[in-house]
Formats: sequence, structure tokens, C-alpha cells
Amino acid sequence: MMYVVFIMSVLYVVGFIGFSSKPSPVYGGMSLVVSGGLGCGIVTSSGGSFLGLVVFLVYLGGMMVVFGYTIAMATEEYPETWGSNVVVLSAFLVGLLMEVFMVMWLFSGEHELVGFYFSGLEGLMVLGEGGFEYVREDYSGGASLYSYGFWFLAMAGWMLFVSIFIAIEVTRKRY
Amino acid sequence: MPYIYINIILAFVISLIGTLIYRSHLISSLLCLEGMILSLFTLNALLSLNINFTLSTIVPLILLVFAACEAAVGLALLIIISNTYGLDYVQNLNLLQC
Repeated sequence: MMYVVFIMSVLYVVGFIGFSSKPSPVYGGMSLVVSGGLGCGIVTSSGGSFLGLVVFLVYLGGMMVVFGYTIAMATEEYPETWGSNVVVLSAFLVGLLMEVFMVMWLFSGEHELVGFYFSGLEGLMVLGEGGFEYVREDYSGGASLYSYGFWFLAMAGWMLFVSIFIAIEVTRKRY
Repeated sequence: MPYIYINIILAFVISLIGTLIYRSHLISSLLCLEGMILSLFTLNALLSLNINFTLSTIVPLILLVFAACEAAVGLALLIIISNTYGLDYVQNLNLLQC
């Protein structure tokens, strides 16, 4: 049970290998949705339930839905899955093998990699998990977007507004 | 440094390689771009929560807003390509215009 966050992060990487080995986009989108759900689980296990909900609602529920029906529009008659093409299958197996070797290498002691000292599993124990926290960090951080980060909010809102016009004019070939 | 960060940075590198290598569809590369942004979001959120620096939880939210705009423009370009050529195959793109 202590290792559940690490197992989730390993499955996250396996999901990324799944769509990075380029099957047909239908299966790639499905793999990205699975990775998004696991990423939400990783973020929520560190105490960030608001940010996990943002991943599900905004990322999976907004952006992936748009990708989903764009894929449905530009798809082919016989979509190729991971098992139907030897190129996709071999890329997936090479990535999986790399991940397994990396996990085995990690658990064989303490290592130093590019200046960071990776040692032990102390990041997996979330302190204060059983009780209530007095400061919900991610809620108050998200709320400070409206008070301290007002300029961020103004620029992000303006950018979303302009990008609607950009998308409309690009689709009409008026670039 | 916890072990989870290696996996998430590795996920970013894997989807970066997936963005740079083309197979038949153009939308597969756009999906790998979305995967890069998801891994950056997860990394930012985990770092903000582990350092207990509350104000920097704004950064993943702003990153997600920029990612939405970028996905919209990318999909609009894909739509014109799909309207001109019928499918979004990379081998069709030999005219240097959409």
C-alpha cells in the first residue's frame, strides 16, 4: 500500500509509451485518457485534490473530448492497434523494457543522477494523511489566482478570448 | 529526491521523442504534444505540493490555460489540412500550403 503512488507513476509511464509508439489515434487518445487519470491519482495522493479535479474536468473532460471528435473525423477504416503492426509493438516493448530496467536499477541502492541525489522512498509517505489539514494548499493557491495573481488571470482570459478568434480565422483560411 | 519525479520526467522525454518522430498521422504528434503538457502539469503540481509553496500552485493552472489555446490552434490547422487532403497523412503534405 505504501508503494501505490510509485506503481501509479510506473503505469503512467507505460501509458505514455502506449501513445508514443504511435498506434492509430483512437488508441492513442484512449491511452492518454488512462495516463491522465493516473496523473490525477498521483497528484491527489500528494494532497492536491483540487489540482487532480482540474486535470479530470478541464484536461480530460474539455481538451480530450475535443481531440476525441477531431480524431473521429480524421480516422481511417482499419485502425491499427498495438498488436496489429510489428513497428508499433516493437516500439512499445522497447519502451516497456526500458521502464522495467529503470525500476530495477532504482531499487538497487542510492544513486546520483545529473546532480540530484535519488535515495529511498521518503517521498511516498505523505505526512498528515490521516487527519485534517488546517491549510488546504491547492485550494488557497488556486484562490490566490484571483487576488495576488490578478495579472495572470487577466492575461490568461485575454489569451483564451483571442484564441477563439484565431481558431475561427485560421479555419476560414484567412491567415 | 523522490522516485516519482524520475518517472514523470521520463514520461516527458518519451512523449518528446514521440512528437519528433512521424508515422502516418499528423494528429498522433499532436497527441504526443498533449502528453508533454500533461507531464509538465503533473510535475509542476507535485513540486508545488511537496515544497509546500502554496502560491506556486497557480503555475499548473496557467499552464493548462496555455495548453488549451495551443491545442485549439493545432486542431484548427489539422482541420484545414483534413479539408484539403481528405486525411491528415504526413505524406500528403508536399505542397507547403494548408
